[in-house]
Amino acid sequence: MSEVLARLVRSPQGAIGLGIVSLVGIAVVAGPWLAPHDPNAISILARYKPPGGQYLLGTDQLGRDLLSRLLHGAQSTVIMAAIATLCGTVMGALIGTTSAYVGGRTDDAVMRTIDAVMAIPSLLMSLLVVSMLGRSQANAVLAIAIAFTPGMARITRSVALAVRKQDYVSAAIARGEGTAYIVMGEMVPNVVAPIIVEMTIRVAFSVMLFATLSFLGLGAQPPTPEWGLMVSEARKFMHLSTWMILWPCCAIALVAIGFNLLGDGLRDALNPRT
Amino acid sequence: MSDAPILAVADYTLDYRTRLGAVRALDTIELTVGRGEVVGLVGESGSGKTSLAWAIMRALPANAIELRGTIRLGAVDLRAQSGTDMTHIRGRRIGMVFQDPAASLNPTLTLGAQFVEALTTHHGLSQAEAWSEGERMFARVGLADPPALMRRYPHEASGGEKQRVIIATAFACRPELILFDEPTTALDVITARQILDLFLELQRETGVASLYISHDLAVVSQIASRVAVIQRGRIVEQGGVSAVFARPAHAYTRQLLAAVPRADRRLVAEMSGHGKQLAAVRDLTVRYGRPSLIADLLGRTKPMVTGNRAISIEIRWGEILGIVGESGSGKSTLARALTGLARFEGSLLFDGKRIGGATDMTGGYRRDVQIVFQHPDSSLNPRQRIRDILGRPFRLYGVPDGRPIAEAIADLLRLVRLPAEFADRFPHQLSGGEKQRVAIARAFASRPRLVICDEVTSSLDVSVQAAVIELLVDLQRKSGAAYIFISHDINLVRQIAHRIAVMYRGELVETIAPEQLSTHGPTHPYTAALMAAVPTIRAATTHAGGTS
Repeated sequence: MSEVLARLVRSPQGAIGLGIVSLVGIAVVAGPWLAPHDPNAISILARYKPPGGQYLLGTDQLGRDLLSRLLHGAQSTVIMAAIATLCGTVMGALIGTTSAYVGGRTDDAVMRTIDAVMAIPSLLMSLLVVSMLGRSQANAVLAIAIAFTPGMARITRSVALAVRKQDYVSAAIARGEGTAYIVMGEMVPNVVAPIIVEMTIRVAFSVMLFATLSFLGLGAQPPTPEWGLMVSEARKFMHLSTWMILWPCCAIALVAIGFNLLGDGLRDALNPRT
Repeated sequence: MSDAPILAVADYTLDYRTRLGAVRALDTIELTVGRGEVVGLVGESGSGKTSLAWAIMRALPANAIELRGTIRLGAVDLRAQSGTDMTHIRGRRIGMVFQDPAASLNPTLTLGAQFVEALTTHHGLSQAEAWSEGERMFARVGLADPPALMRRYPHEASGGEKQRVIIATAFACRPELILFDEPTTALDVITARQILDLFLELQRETGVASLYISHDLAVVSQIASRVAVIQRGRIVEQGGVSAVFARPAHAYTRQLLAAVPRADRRLVAEMSGHGKQLAAVRDLTVRYGRPSLIADLLGRTKPMVTGNRAISIEIRWGEILGIVGESGSGKSTLARALTGLARFEGSLLFDGKRIGGATDMTGGYRRDVQIVFQHPDSSLNPRQRIRDILGRPFRLYGVPDGRPIAEAIADLLRLVRLPAEFADRFPHQLSGGEKQRVAIARAFASRPRLVICDEVTSSLDVSVQAAVIELLVDLQRKSGAAYIFISHDINLVRQIAHRIAVMYRGELVETIAPEQLSTHGPTHPYTAALMAAVPTIRAATTHAGGTS
């Protein structure tokens, strides 16, 4: 593990990505303690403040400190998005790898089903799930996970098909290994690199999808300092203070870039041959 | 050689910049190719043969550092040429033929278009002129129906046809020098033989100077007039072919020559009497292909490809059964059927028990029948340490004498003559030969009674191949396991097999004992063709492809 970390830090994109994601991680873990103000404290006299002075990043339409809201919001935004992506990835990876390994009619059936599910846009899919299960943060996580599964399954399968042809899989079959070991022990470790890259990109999408669900009133509810919700609330007051919409957007972008760079770095670091 | 050489490489030294510092690829190379001369450059993988070809073509990768030396084509200093100048030299003055004909043709252009492009750019011919020249050249290189073939795309031609097209293109441009980088390695034995004959013929006819790069000493001995032996970027010996091969001066050349399989040198003890039957295959047929669901629904049936047709053969206890044939002859299909990787029809009797298909292959059968694949890179999982790779059969079949697994793994590594510390390594930290030893160790972990070796040495260098073969023969003697040894190299099989089965287009054409092959010769014409196609080292006699 430390070996991978050392390789990760050696590449510039890995080092920067790790730096940004660590910063985000600190905000997630220690955000509430680091925040200078109460994120929900309203101050009528200090509305639409630009950055500076008492409020480091300025204030919103109710005079709430933007920095404190961002720091508090990191928890609900990033953790939920990451969990949703992780669930979707794990489900997709298992379905894709198993389908590629089993092959034949089963593979046909699984992949055509996935094609059908993929025809539904992921936002629509998550809306459907949330409206069926009821609105709550946990259901939103589940909805995004389900929306991400078919795409991940497809990507994993395309990589797993190449792995399936490798002789070490043939050797395992000839040795009499069971399906579970071949999929988990021989194949999954060899498809993990592209999955990780794809997953990190999807964390960013997941943040956006979460924000959209919140915007439509199906995810986080006001006054929760969720980043997506902050963006959609700030839209109405954009002409009064640009900072209000800029900071949460920047936070989302930073998370997206950070995870992307980390993914790139990990791809190289996880491959022991390079 | 009347005048100045066509190609002169002098004092040429090349490094590659890597993460671990500079690595020397070529070291003070001195090499000349005279007018009309064929010079063979022989070396094992990683010796720098191909680097030299790229240096001559001026197409070195970005991390190459040229330290010193000159490369001259006639009077032109190639190192001083700019990128645009080189595009006029490449193709027109230096041609190149690569190893893999499939990769060196553009899949989206017809064969004719690619030929025409070369001639119109380099010689300013018109489309029509180039096209008719193409038809003439295609006929010249022995391609059937040139007008039709010129309209075909690369995927519609066989490997041999593609390589002929590339050779036709290279010769049609009338360069002064052609570089051949292992042009027959990707082809099967008989096609390779035909390509070599074609090369000799065209070379004699046109008198073009050639640098022929190969790992195969036998091929070089047959076509080159002079040979240079390269080891780790250094030319250790060069001279006339007959001189170098008959009286090698350098130890490395001697080692290489000794490693070349020779049919008359047997490596195994003969079987004592008639052994008991271990496995018997009756009328085994393997078909590939599966109709898709939609084709099925539409009632369209595609004919299945037959990999093996009604094979009947038996293997005795402790016997080495060699199987030879060209690629596509169904050798590997048979191996896949016996290990349950391909579905088969017909019957298989193993140790008296009937095996009808993969479902009948119980733990006992799997333990008794092991397979070693051709490419160790592919057969060892790159994400697992050697310990995990070798530990797996023990976890499945149990450790003999109930010892700890770590001890058993160390013993196994010692058995294949590898240090026990290799258990901690990943496959990519091992050389090709070491990886193949690990794959062999894995097969022997379960103490099998039948080991199927599917082209186990084909991806290895000749000296490594000799060591692996020696190990396999030694293991066979110690363990008493029977082998099915699959190879395209009939000389190699003749060295170690007790019986030889020859396969052709999915069928078994002949089973013959090697002694009989040496004394009476083959009975089937295909076996004779196969034996004639495999090049053997020709040292004492004078050769045809010399200077005129």
